[in-house]
Amino acid sequence: MTSDSDARYDSARRRRPLISDFENLRSYRGLLRLLVVRDLTVRYKRSSLGVWWTLLNPLLFSGALWIVFGQIFRFETPGVPYIVYLLSGVLFMTFFAQGVTTTGSAIVNSASILTKVSVPPEIFSFAAALAAGANFVLSLLPLLVAQLILGVGIPWTVILVPIPVAATVVFVAGIGLLVASAAVFFYDILDLTAVFIQLISYLTPSFYPVEIIPDQFIWLVNLNPLYSYLTVFRGFVYGGEFAPAWQFAYMFGSAIAAILLGIWVFSRSWKNLVVRI
Amino acid sequence: MSDRAVVRAEQISLAYRIGKSQTGTFKEHMIDSLKGNTTYEQLWALSNVSFTVEPGQVFAVIGPNGAGKSTLMKIIAQVLPPTGGRIRVHGTIAPMIELGAGFNAEMTGRENVVLYGTLVGREPKVMRNRVADIAAWAELEDFIDAPIRNYSTGMLARLGFAVATDTRPDILVVDEVLAVGDEAFQRKSSDRMTSMINAGSAVVLVSHSLEAVERLADYVIWLEKGKVVMAGEPEEVVETYRSSAGG
Repeated sequence: MTSDSDARYDSARRRRPLISDFENLRSYRGLLRLLVVRDLTVRYKRSSLGVWWTLLNPLLFSGALWIVFGQIFRFETPGVPYIVYLLSGVLFMTFFAQGVTTTGSAIVNSASILTKVSVPPEIFSFAAALAAGANFVLSLLPLLVAQLILGVGIPWTVILVPIPVAATVVFVAGIGLLVASAAVFFYDILDLTAVFIQLISYLTPSFYPVEIIPDQFIWLVNLNPLYSYLTVFRGFVYGGEFAPAWQFAYMFGSAIAAILLGIWVFSRSWKNLVVRI
Repeated sequence: MSDRAVVRAEQISLAYRIGKSQTGTFKEHMIDSLKGNTTYEQLWALSNVSFTVEPGQVFAVIGPNGAGKSTLMKIIAQVLPPTGGRIRVHGTIAPMIELGAGFNAEMTGRENVVLYGTLVGREPKVMRNRVADIAAWAELEDFIDAPIRNYSTGMLARLGFAVATDTRPDILVVDEVLAVGDEAFQRKSSDRMTSMINAGSAVVLVSHSLEAVERLADYVIWLEKGKVVMAGEPEEVVETYRSSAGG
């Protein structure tokens, strides 16, 4: 019954990093779903405003930006009311920021489980990224309401919004795994990540129109992968149009590159992490 | 006999890297690396540790802090592959987890039970059906839908024990959780433990309580600086360990 060939676990058996990860992902579907639900319910239970906080937080922030840039600086966004442009940008950048932060800290936070149970730790990061995605979809409600009120309407392409959302989830999971790899070695990495996220938020045309960027610097904006995600998303959610093909390519390409790099770096550092946590 | 071993470790070693300067922040690390101070040191958390665990055996690991006990547990739990040597595990493993620590305190007892079960490889659906029995056994029916932040330490330990032993695992991994609840509950849990052991479950135990190890264990290994100092009958090993510690 228990001969060597049917050992459930044999350290001499070779593990194939990337392939095993994807196989794992499939066999741990149930766990993944539970963790996503956990992440979402915990987030809403923690604050007394519950689910409304998800909606209120970016709305308040957008309100402040709208007063400064919409009313005082009077930003013009061609073809769309500034509020819709601003809100879509702020909601998306909030999604990215929260996603990377929660994904990056998911593994350290679950250290006491991960040192005792043999589950792929990446599952905890993937769950955090998926929860951020679900949270984002929920937070689109006020944007859609604003579009209706301001006469922008809701184009049919809104059903394609899950495409950029899914790509962002994959991108966030990859970046989060890189952060998680570093977070166990350096406890200040999450603070540094927050600073970095803030920088990239300002470099992404989320609350200012891309038209104000001088021509000689536009390549810098285009180089920022988040700009591609945001443009594709905006095209679908209110523009009723497809972003240029290169932005789709850049979006999918950077998502795949990020997740592969994240899994690779993480699987190499995990052993050194687990000894210490 | 040893053909039936549930855990067979052959000459396992574990090396890991650590920065010599022991800096904790990325900023310091960058400053150090600019100064050229980042050298890494190879540390051996375990070297050439061999043992087997038989079904129905209570296997204990003792040793001072930093001896490699928890690293060994991580290797048995298949969380950490050994750097050298080979370990084979036959059968299912159930770790006793402090439910409060690793799980989110906002989650209810019920959600914790389902999540624990899923983590050790059971179906969420099956676990949902098991919650009522597990709660009844842990005498927590009235609290099972309350967030575990409202649980006392004793309640958490009871639930943790109840869920880990809900199905009979081939190997139960116990990390310093022996006294669970009041006297009546302790008797109940030790009865459950005994019947599981009689049915062939092995228990792998790490404890600082030498009395508990002497009372429960069938076989003890004594680790120090990642090496096995002594292995054998609990009375002998614990006695030698005690006298060496200058006690």
